[in-house]
Amino acid sequence: MLKVSHVYKYFDDHCVNNDISLDLKNGEIFGLLGPNGAGKTTLMRMLATVTTPDRGEILIKGENLGPKHVPLIGYMPEERGLYRKMSVVDQLLYFAELKGLARSHAKDNVRKWLHRLDIVHWADKKMEELSKGMAQKIQFISTILHEPEFLILDEPFSGFDPVNADMVKDLIIELKETGTTILFSTHRMDNVEELCDRLAIIHEGRKVLDGSIDEVRREHFKFEYDLSFTDVVTIPEHLKYRKLEVASPNTYRITLEKDEPFNSLLDWAYSTQKLKAFGEYLPTMHEIFVNKVSNK
Amino acid sequence: MRSIWVVLKKEYLTRIKNKTFILMTFLAPVLIALFYGGAIYFATVGAEDHSEKTMYFQAPYWDLESDELSFEDYTFVPALSSTKSMLDAIENKKMSGWLQINDKDLRNLDSAELVGGTSFSVTEIQKLNNHIKTRAHEFLLMESGISDSTLRQTEVHGGIKALEIDNDGDVANSNTTLKSAVGFAMAMIIYMFIFIYGSMVMRSAMEEKTNRIVEVIVSSVKPFDLMLGKILGVALVGLTQFFAWIALSFGLLGGLSYAFSTGSDAIPKEAQNVPVNELISGFNALPFFDIIIVFILFFLGGYLLYSSIFAAIGAAVNQETDVQQFMLPVSLPLVFGFIIAQSVVFQSPNGHLAKVFSMIPLTSPIVMAVRAPFDVPISEIIGSFILLLLTFVFMVWLSAKIYRVGVLMYGKKPSWKDLFRWIKQS
Repeated sequence: MLKVSHVYKYFDDHCVNNDISLDLKNGEIFGLLGPNGAGKTTLMRMLATVTTPDRGEILIKGENLGPKHVPLIGYMPEERGLYRKMSVVDQLLYFAELKGLARSHAKDNVRKWLHRLDIVHWADKKMEELSKGMAQKIQFISTILHEPEFLILDEPFSGFDPVNADMVKDLIIELKETGTTILFSTHRMDNVEELCDRLAIIHEGRKVLDGSIDEVRREHFKFEYDLSFTDVVTIPEHLKYRKLEVASPNTYRITLEKDEPFNSLLDWAYSTQKLKAFGEYLPTMHEIFVNKVSNK
Repeated sequence: MRSIWVVLKKEYLTRIKNKTFILMTFLAPVLIALFYGGAIYFATVGAEDHSEKTMYFQAPYWDLESDELSFEDYTFVPALSSTKSMLDAIENKKMSGWLQINDKDLRNLDSAELVGGTSFSVTEIQKLNNHIKTRAHEFLLMESGISDSTLRQTEVHGGIKALEIDNDGDVANSNTTLKSAVGFAMAMIIYMFIFIYGSMVMRSAMEEKTNRIVEVIVSSVKPFDLMLGKILGVALVGLTQFFAWIALSFGLLGGLSYAFSTGSDAIPKEAQNVPVNELISGFNALPFFDIIIVFILFFLGGYLLYSSIFAAIGAAVNQETDVQQFMLPVSLPLVFGFIIAQSVVFQSPNGHLAKVFSMIPLTSPIVMAVRAPFDVPISEIIGSFILLLLTFVFMVWLSAKIYRVGVLMYGKKPSWKDLFRWIKQS
């Protein structure tokens, strides 16, 4: 669907995107993670045709990204707003028409979405008469009204109240099911683990990691195991481990040395005859994120 | 092209549907008429001091009773013997002044003085001065033996009438006053439209930026198209309003001339004496077609040029208060053009200064408009318009660069240096 290869973007002498490459597959949800100022918005703006890369190329469906792809793309920037003096319907129609939708088609879609979210009675209200939460709903509709195949959402959950954030989440899942490819940036790891098929972390303009959540977590496996016993046990001296944490009485997290076979841990645990639970511990996305952006 | 059209349509329709717009379209002609009527009234009648003024008169070498000199609201009484009591009376506002003419030879009023001059305006002093000189002249004539009746009989009336050779080769009235009025009115309209509608474009660009709408918009349409759509949409709003005003004025004029021609009772008798026919024939003699063509060309050209600059300003700033530093230098040439139009063109519509400033693109829309009724050579009109058009194209190109970068720059107040950096950057 979308292929970003070796993209660079500079502001004055400062390199904001440094050799970024991404590959988005059809119909997947891709998370873009990174601390503030990492260059996520800059990258998304280029994908949304707001700006162009200084170097490198962006391909969409195998073609160089350009103005003719505008109808394919839906973009909700982090800085968002609507015309205060315009009515809900006029506003939505305007955005849809700008995206190349014919007026009659746009009208049908507006009607459909207002029904769908049960807000038909807002149709002729001006934006300034609506509450912030209502405006957020309209904002999201305006982004997807033209049925984009590729959706770019910059921090879609920030600034939205919890009810609307849930609505956005549900809609993202629903759109994915209808085949939309979605790229979104976020700070919130719970959203990432819940929604993303794959993700990338950007830090100081560079991509430091990408892959599916499982892949990433497995890659960052640090030979940690969680064990829980029914009674007190003593860790045998022959076991080579780096770290032992006692989570609660009789529950341990043990970090083995790299060369210590996992079987020797399992054999011992089994031999105590007090073993209740055993499992490997994969780091959470949050841990990986913090680790990645603080190390580099 | 399509996105320019979508933007244009939105900008046009949202404004046309606006209640204030509809109200202003009907009210503005009335307000403008009231404004100018009021201004002219106060300038001519209202401002004049109607209070009567009495002053002492003293002219030892002029054999004239003081009340012989009195005229209109000015009364002269003989001077008192005590200077002090005269000055006291003036200081206590019992008297307006003390005119003394101590010259032996009335041909040189070198030592004529008016004490208490501050209670007289410049025009009043001028008026008094003329009056005294005329009376002194008459006095000298009579002294040299010319009788009062001869004087009256030899008074000259009438004056020069300006004529010109019209397009048919006939000699006709040249109606210089009417032409100046028409030219000035057009310059005024262009001047006002550029400011009103140019700032409308600016506010529109600013609204999209401050309400954070613009990022979504520029992901759908090229900033250049957005800017052009805005400029053209607002231009159409201006034209709509303009033609509505013309229609309304013609309706009003038609009503009036009907009332005049039928001698309707609704119009007071005195008003019917106004030389309407003369005015109408004067209007008919004007090269209307040429004037309208020039007006429309320079009206649109001027608006397009300035509104593209205003659009760039709107895209650059973050809030209304930042506008001022950019607006001032941009409006200066416009204001300057208006001043040139007022002073120089009234005196010499085809003079060098008028020619030069009707060529410079930043002032030409106004200066050319005011010259339009005065048979400007066609080559000058075409040359000036091409220059204006080229400058517009260049300015749109430049403004689009500022616009493109500016709309996405939030935060700090931009400086002139930033603008130049943005131009280089994009």
